[in-house]
Amino acid sequence: MGRPSHRLRFAVGLALAGGLGVGVAHLLLKNEVQQASVAREERKGVVALQALADLVERAGRRGEGIRRAVSAWQGANPSVRLARVVAFEGISLEASTAPEDQGDKAAPRRLSRDEKSLYDLGQRLRTAVTTNREEGGARKEEIEISTTHAGALALAAPVTEDGAVVGIVTVETQPLAAPARPSLLYAILAWAGPLVLFVLLALLVGERRAWLAAVAVSCLALGFGAYAAHSLARVEQERIRSHEAVAEFALAQAGTVRAVLSDLGLAATPPLVPSAWDADAFRRPRGFLTESGKLDEARLRTNADAASGQALRALILAGVVALGLLLAIGLGGVHRVAAALVANRQAYYYVVPAMIGMIVLVFFPFIYGITLSFTDSNLYSVNQPITETWIGLRNYGDILGDVGIAQRAADGSLVFNYLNFYWTLLYTVVWTVTNVTAGVTVGLLLALILNTKGLAGKPIYRVLLIMPWAMPNYITALIWKGMFHRQYGVVNHVIRLFGGQGVSWFEKPFTSFLTALATNGWLSFPFMMVVSLGALQSIPGEIYEAARVDGASRWQQFRAITLPSLKPALVPAVILSVIWTFNMFNIPYLVTQGEPGSSTEILVTQSYKFAFERYRYGYAAAYSTIIFGILLVYGAIQNRVSKATEAI
Amino acid sequence: MKRTRSLFTLVGFLALGSVGIAQAGELVVWHAYRAEEKAAFEKVAKAYEATKPGTTVTLLAIPYDAFADKITAAVPRGKGPDVFIFAQDKLGGWIEAGNTVEPIDFYLDEPTKARFIPTTMEAMTYRGTVYGLPMNYKAITLIYNKKLVTAPPKTDVELVALAKKLTDKGAGRFGLAYSYADYWYHASLQNAFGGRVFDAGAPVLNNPENVKAALFLQKWIKEGFLPAEPSTALVTSLFNEGKAAIVFSGSWFLGEIAKGVDYGLAPLPTIAEAGGKPMRPWMTVEGMYVAAPSKQKDLAYDFVKFVTDVKAATVMAVEGRQNPANKKAYEDPKVGKDPILAAFRAQAEVAIPTPNVPEMTMVWSPATTAMNTITRGTSPQAALDKAQAQLLKDVAGLRKRP
Repeated sequence: MGRPSHRLRFAVGLALAGGLGVGVAHLLLKNEVQQASVAREERKGVVALQALADLVERAGRRGEGIRRAVSAWQGANPSVRLARVVAFEGISLEASTAPEDQGDKAAPRRLSRDEKSLYDLGQRLRTAVTTNREEGGARKEEIEISTTHAGALALAAPVTEDGAVVGIVTVETQPLAAPARPSLLYAILAWAGPLVLFVLLALLVGERRAWLAAVAVSCLALGFGAYAAHSLARVEQERIRSHEAVAEFALAQAGTVRAVLSDLGLAATPPLVPSAWDADAFRRPRGFLTESGKLDEARLRTNADAASGQALRALILAGVVALGLLLAIGLGGVHRVAAALVANRQAYYYVVPAMIGMIVLVFFPFIYGITLSFTDSNLYSVNQPITETWIGLRNYGDILGDVGIAQRAADGSLVFNYLNFYWTLLYTVVWTVTNVTAGVTVGLLLALILNTKGLAGKPIYRVLLIMPWAMPNYITALIWKGMFHRQYGVVNHVIRLFGGQGVSWFEKPFTSFLTALATNGWLSFPFMMVVSLGALQSIPGEIYEAARVDGASRWQQFRAITLPSLKPALVPAVILSVIWTFNMFNIPYLVTQGEPGSSTEILVTQSYKFAFERYRYGYAAAYSTIIFGILLVYGAIQNRVSKATEAI
Repeated sequence: MKRTRSLFTLVGFLALGSVGIAQAGELVVWHAYRAEEKAAFEKVAKAYEATKPGTTVTLLAIPYDAFADKITAAVPRGKGPDVFIFAQDKLGGWIEAGNTVEPIDFYLDEPTKARFIPTTMEAMTYRGTVYGLPMNYKAITLIYNKKLVTAPPKTDVELVALAKKLTDKGAGRFGLAYSYADYWYHASLQNAFGGRVFDAGAPVLNNPENVKAALFLQKWIKEGFLPAEPSTALVTSLFNEGKAAIVFSGSWFLGEIAKGVDYGLAPLPTIAEAGGKPMRPWMTVEGMYVAAPSKQKDLAYDFVKFVTDVKAATVMAVEGRQNPANKKAYEDPKVGKDPILAAFRAQAEVAIPTPNVPEMTMVWSPATTAMNTITRGTSPQAALDKAQAQLLKDVAGLRKRP
């Protein structure tokens, strides 16, 4: 390998980055133009559809008059292929201009079996209108638009009578023409131009890396920037064209409807409102047309800023990625990575299967969970793509920003908000600390007792004391819950034997906490006991002999010899226990069930309840990510601290 | 070697294909039945195949715990069955999620609709559209120990008097035992007072009737004839040991009763304070639904119609021990004169189907918290107000669009 040629690297980098940037920008432009064209046709379709619905409602919804009106309307609209009116009463097709509905299949007739989808469409729209009205919002679409196999638009809207939906109108347009594609010439020019310019300038600059970098970046900026400006201008042009076309179309439709009504001998009262026909999927007028049907200039301008903002963001992202690629190739990063891969080929072959397994089983679900936390996914929106339910950091804001743990009630006492994140965090920390302390203390105590020389029946005691850990903790949790029953529980029975009154354990947060503590303490001491016992048995007896000879008391022996020798074994056990207890789902879920009033929930059970009892998947995912963050920080701190103690 | 390998692949593909949506003349049905219900259902499916030669009905039994999740995951993606059987409580959620349940209004005619108990048909209807045909229903009723109770009480005054007589708290004996802290059981009392959870789609957990019902329950608890902290396990063990004379529970309880206990069934009593109105329990109605992505919708609907017809319903009732939703099935003395089936039929007259709206799944969590505080003596108005606030927040979180 000779000396690296910076000029060559930057040239290659500029070619690739420029290609990527301009290519992406061109694709974005093509997409925008296509979408604008489709949106324009959809808007015109909706205007036609709403005009027809208006006409049908004014002409009486059923009968011969309707059929004449619909065929007259169809005649005046060559861009529409067919129009149908369906009434729910009698499941009947009231009017149809479809070529197949002639002769014995002419309207009016009952819908046939293979037209069930039309009837179901009608029911869906009816349900949507009632739902939106009940909820006072706009959640379900009241106009359904789809594309047929032939590339035409099929639209459907409800027909109302006295506020109730009694039928639908459907309209199918002629197959849509292919949208104009932006010319490739500009894109090629925007790519080749800077490249040629760079090559010429590079000859002047020579092999100086910094200068070359600066020149390459400016050439990229020039080419990409010019193309981006061209794209934005083209998009704006399309937008204005759309609005003008729709306004013109609406005026024409108003004229048609007026003509058909006068043909039928009906007056156009109340007056037609073409601006209401240009509506979104929830039948809310878009507001671009004034009452008379002309374009509203002010609204046009404000909409421009919103639309161009989004396009600009996409282009900036593409530009940044292209810049990154240029610098990565130009400064030699890519070359170094490729060289490393080639040199260590064998190693990578061995690692690849495990990498694939880890990616599929660990990293993908993990990344998916984090992505879910940025969305508003819930029971209703599971089938929607993630881009539609994106809300960014709002979940995190809701969880971490809600600091209202307690409020003062009218009588001055503190009322805690148990669903608050910080309360649950506080409780989880208290839970973890008390449990680990209890487990370690009891475990250590029992290990010290078991470690006495000459204890009879040691194997029996060991087996008995391991039993709590060996039994499935699901079952022990349920048994302990039964033991704390107010009337029939063993614990209250024993208290009554000693003359006390039974305690209603699950009535107050503190006593409820004690039940969970007792259960988890019982379950966790065997592990600590085993670890301590193992560590104790590895301490040579001679050290104790020496200490006794020196006159140390038993307590001094414990503090000076036993504890420090236990540290290397206990510290990892404590770290493990902290993480296990922090995430111990079974005990709070089964024993206290969060009673009373969610006050004894830990972070994981709270997250579970948000996901599977309240069905707020995005919120619960954010909760879980925060739990992960907390444990990550704890793990990092613990690592640093334990390294210090190992040095002793 | 090569031949066996290709044979295995062929068999494998066939097996894979047969589990999902079937070919012409084949139906795939998913259910969660076990033991007698499963045997009865298989008999009904065979009978259907006999009426339509050339049709095969493949039944797949799926464990109950995983059933709802499997439907939610598999059906919208086209990998589910043509027909499936489930209770109405998840119906609203599946309809809102889309592409799971097919509306059958188009096929349904008046005679078919008229064969069912009207309230069971209501359970299959969501926002005015019918999505399935009801097969059977489950509701709670009064179950009493014949040795301790000679005549079951008809009014709540009689019930309280009888229960107090049979209660001895020190010995752990109680006159009446039921999971009164479970909102689903408490609904029977609440509905007697005219209480409800939703009013035209809007949650009204804290309306005055619900508060009145909660106060009434607290009165019962104060009288002392109900055990504290009742769980279903406690109620079962008390009844089996003869320590509970009367229990409010459903057909699932009958299978847990010990051999030596002679039990009888009676309708739930009327409540004098509610104007003599009867206790109206919530009814879980199991329905058969046609899956939306099915390619055999006509055939599927035909099968559903067959299984809910008189002959099949009678088989499911007599052999499967289900409570049929088909009115005419009770004309057969094997069904109509069976004491258990007749008792539940009498109870069904006043039962109300559990709301099938998707927001219902949000209700259980705040309602359970409220019931737990109410049974411990706190003010029902305050507890229900809190539950209502929480429910509104949860429902709003579900309904809002970004």
